[in-house]
Amino acid sequence: MYTTKLRATYLVYTVTFLLFAGVFAACDSTEPDPEGPGEEELITRVVVTLTAGGQTVTATADDPDGDGANLQIDSITLAAGTTYTGTVELFDDINGEDITEEVEEEADEHQFFYTVGGGIAGRVSVAVTDQDGNGLPVGLRFTVTVTDGGAASGTLNIVLSHFDEEPKNGTDRSDETDVDVTFPVNIQ
Amino acid sequence: MSDAMVRWPVAGRLIFLLTVLAVGGPGIALAQVLEGQVRDEDRQPLPGVHVYVAALQRGAVTDEAGRYVIGDLPVGTYTVDFRFVGFRTVTRSVTLGSGRVTLDVALVPETVVLDEVVTTAEGQARAALNRAVLSVSRLTPKDLEQLRGQNLGETLAHLPGVTTLSTGPSIAKPVIRGLHSQRVLVLNAGVPQEGQQWGGEHAPEIDPFAPVRIEVVRGAAGVEYGVGAIGGVIRLEPRELPTSPILSGSISFNGFSNSHQGAGSVLLESGVRAVPGLGWRVQGSFRKAGDARTPDYVIGNSAFEEMDGSAAVGYHTDRYGVDVYYSHFGTELGLFKGAHIGNYDDLLRAIERGQPSIAYDFTYTIDPPKQHVRHDLLTLRGHYDLAAGDRLEVQYGLQRNRRQEFDAHRRFGDPLDEPAFDLTLTTHTLDAKLRTKPRGALFGVVGLSGMNQGNVNTESGYLIPNFRALTGGGYARATWVREPWTVEAGTRFDYRWLEAFPRENREEGFVRHTHAYANVSGVVGSIWQFAASWSLAVNVGTAWRPPGVNELYNFGVHHGTAQFEIGNADLGGERSYSLDVTLRHVSERARLELSVFNNWMDGYIYLFPEPEPTVTIRGTFPSFRYAQTDALLRGFDALVEYHPVVFLTLGARVSVMRGDDRQADLPLIFMPAGHFVLSSALSLPDVGVLRGSQIELEGTFVSRQTRFPAGVDYADPPDGYLLFSAGYRTELMWGTTPIRLSFSVENLFNTAYRDYLSRFRYFIDDPGRNVVLRVQVPLGVLEV
Repeated sequence: MYTTKLRATYLVYTVTFLLFAGVFAACDSTEPDPEGPGEEELITRVVVTLTAGGQTVTATADDPDGDGANLQIDSITLAAGTTYTGTVELFDDINGEDITEEVEEEADEHQFFYTVGGGIAGRVSVAVTDQDGNGLPVGLRFTVTVTDGGAASGTLNIVLSHFDEEPKNGTDRSDETDVDVTFPVNIQ
Repeated sequence: MSDAMVRWPVAGRLIFLLTVLAVGGPGIALAQVLEGQVRDEDRQPLPGVHVYVAALQRGAVTDEAGRYVIGDLPVGTYTVDFRFVGFRTVTRSVTLGSGRVTLDVALVPETVVLDEVVTTAEGQARAALNRAVLSVSRLTPKDLEQLRGQNLGETLAHLPGVTTLSTGPSIAKPVIRGLHSQRVLVLNAGVPQEGQQWGGEHAPEIDPFAPVRIEVVRGAAGVEYGVGAIGGVIRLEPRELPTSPILSGSISFNGFSNSHQGAGSVLLESGVRAVPGLGWRVQGSFRKAGDARTPDYVIGNSAFEEMDGSAAVGYHTDRYGVDVYYSHFGTELGLFKGAHIGNYDDLLRAIERGQPSIAYDFTYTIDPPKQHVRHDLLTLRGHYDLAAGDRLEVQYGLQRNRRQEFDAHRRFGDPLDEPAFDLTLTTHTLDAKLRTKPRGALFGVVGLSGMNQGNVNTESGYLIPNFRALTGGGYARATWVREPWTVEAGTRFDYRWLEAFPRENREEGFVRHTHAYANVSGVVGSIWQFAASWSLAVNVGTAWRPPGVNELYNFGVHHGTAQFEIGNADLGGERSYSLDVTLRHVSERARLELSVFNNWMDGYIYLFPEPEPTVTIRGTFPSFRYAQTDALLRGFDALVEYHPVVFLTLGARVSVMRGDDRQADLPLIFMPAGHFVLSSALSLPDVGVLRGSQIELEGTFVSRQTRFPAGVDYADPPDGYLLFSAGYRTELMWGTTPIRLSFSVENLFNTAYRDYLSRFRYFIDDPGRNVVLRVQVPLGVLEV
């Protein structure tokens, strides 16, 4: 015999059960859309091109996933007693963008720093040849001078600094580094 | 009607002018006054208690001193109800003859079972000594007044055993005995707060002005609260809604000098005369701050602004009650740019510099890097008293947390418009519990809970993958009370199913992974009141936690730490075994609580440094992989309060702990150092319109952390530091309205210091002196 109180108790239990079932059934899929927004733009490939007379030397640092998992860095082979004209280009292969242009447009907020090290330290020097609107170096174009001598190996470190709030003074790096890659270098 | 108007406070008259209302007709021989004071079991005055004479449909709400006055009452004998959330309702009978009748009452918390209503000092001491098997702190609304306008992490930092993990002046997370984030559960109006809490720089989205009592449980509270409570629980429980048809409320305003911050809140609540048992409350608050200052420089881009609000409606009868609560939290906060570093060499140079590279000017502007967070919560709660006297409680919660983070480094798109990541976390929770009425010496709780959570990324940076998590649990807890013993035992089973979609690599795209975890937790505790004013509580328990999605699937550079974090999909859960002993003493002159804890955490998940750094085109990043080890965290917290004379309070708080990696035989990283606080409060006599005045002085010493694993961190822990604060508070009587005022100075001597648990300590000091002004005006007690 169901009294009103008993009926109310059963009602409460039933409602509670249904609410539980409802909570677990409420399932919109969280599966991500593979065609959705792409990765944020970042530099994944750096190409250094050095020209001297009729010869061209190219070296690429390629980080196709942007996370270092498959980072490949070419070696740069230089001939002794040569002066090369160099350019550096930057690409975002994830989004298919050429970042070089953007750096060019914001030249007064960027600067490339070239540092040689290892066994080539006294033999190779790099000089930046371009300037931004304020007369400060940029580094998209530069020269590489190799002295006479025998074979040697070392490194060339390329750093791209971005100057957002900090003032660019031509000498100091900023706290924001967009590229910091070291190429092995061989002089033959 | 004109007689009644004279008694209304000034603020109440103001409300009357803005509202149209009908006041009941004139009564006969209405000259009796019922008044008194309501206190809790610690002899502290209780504001906000609803005092109601049902037969006359008249009532009042106790003011900030716990006092109430009900005038214009006819002669006769009546029953008076005293109600306040978390406390057992008290009903007293009173006879009104002629003139004034004083009725003072003490309220006792609901969690303590006693045979009769307690008014004696001995009874109140008994209640305090038998409060809980674990070490627990309570902050009443009155305590919170002195801490208003600060975020939750800062508010709780004054409690023993609680420290703060901060990311600049705008972000602070509570740390309980060395554990935080996913190991500490924040329970907001009965609903577990779910908002990407795994992030060290993701602060709990809690309105600092919410009208709540706060209870902090130190230690694993897994049986009642589930897998997120392995380190502790912070319970924010809203005050009970009014049922008496009296419009009341308050307006608060706080000003902070260090960051030129203004904060304020308005609250209104009332019962509804036409529907007895129905009550409502609305509340809104805002905070706006500019950049903070250390003693030597401005912390650039540390400004923030916040707008929050809540609304609650509830209907209660003898047999059942229903409550609906909605709250919104919205904030935009800036992060100091100099800490937002994405390259290890840059990081080392910033650390060596030790201060910002440029001199910032103060501003209220918030630029990237910044966070934009919105949190909406809707909860429906119902309780029903069954025929046998047991109570059934059911609560449904829906939360939506939207977190956008704007990265200043993301410049090859348009940085200011597009967030670097945009996460929406939607969580449904459902809890049902049956509280049994005491049968003999035994009573208990049986409960079921469920959670359905989905996380979706809507921008390009997949910091944490999309996932769906389903959690279900059931528990039972029984308590047996026979003086001088209380014994408690409980057990809980939880199951979690996780479906996540991490990005494997560029070619494969998103891959679906599933995980399932199931386990049991349990606790046995006892309290022995071995003397009239002493008790000893011992608690032994085991709890567990499944790995979080970030611990499984993070992959990428964490800006601000220049760390490359790698998740580990093979992680198992954490299992803790704890032994807690708490000694309590409550007497006329003194109060003491000493709590010793030992927490063995097997499978403790943490970031372990990899031998080889990660090299990307952007540079070299030290790599950390999520790993598991066996850890031991142990220490003690002590709190002492002593009144050598009635108007003077001397206090001390000590928290000391050590955390060790048992497998590697090394200290754990980022464990809090020892905290030592000495305080004194002097009550001043009432002068003119100022009453309840008090002067406070406090000194805090934090020692230098000497126990840490060498070679893992970028910089050794900073020096210890000593800070002083001073304050004055009073109640200014404006007519009959008590306006609470307080004026205090934090970091009195503008000391430059860095805290070990500040994530910015590599780059900048902590903030300097802060002068704080707090004003609270109660909006009178007005019949509606």
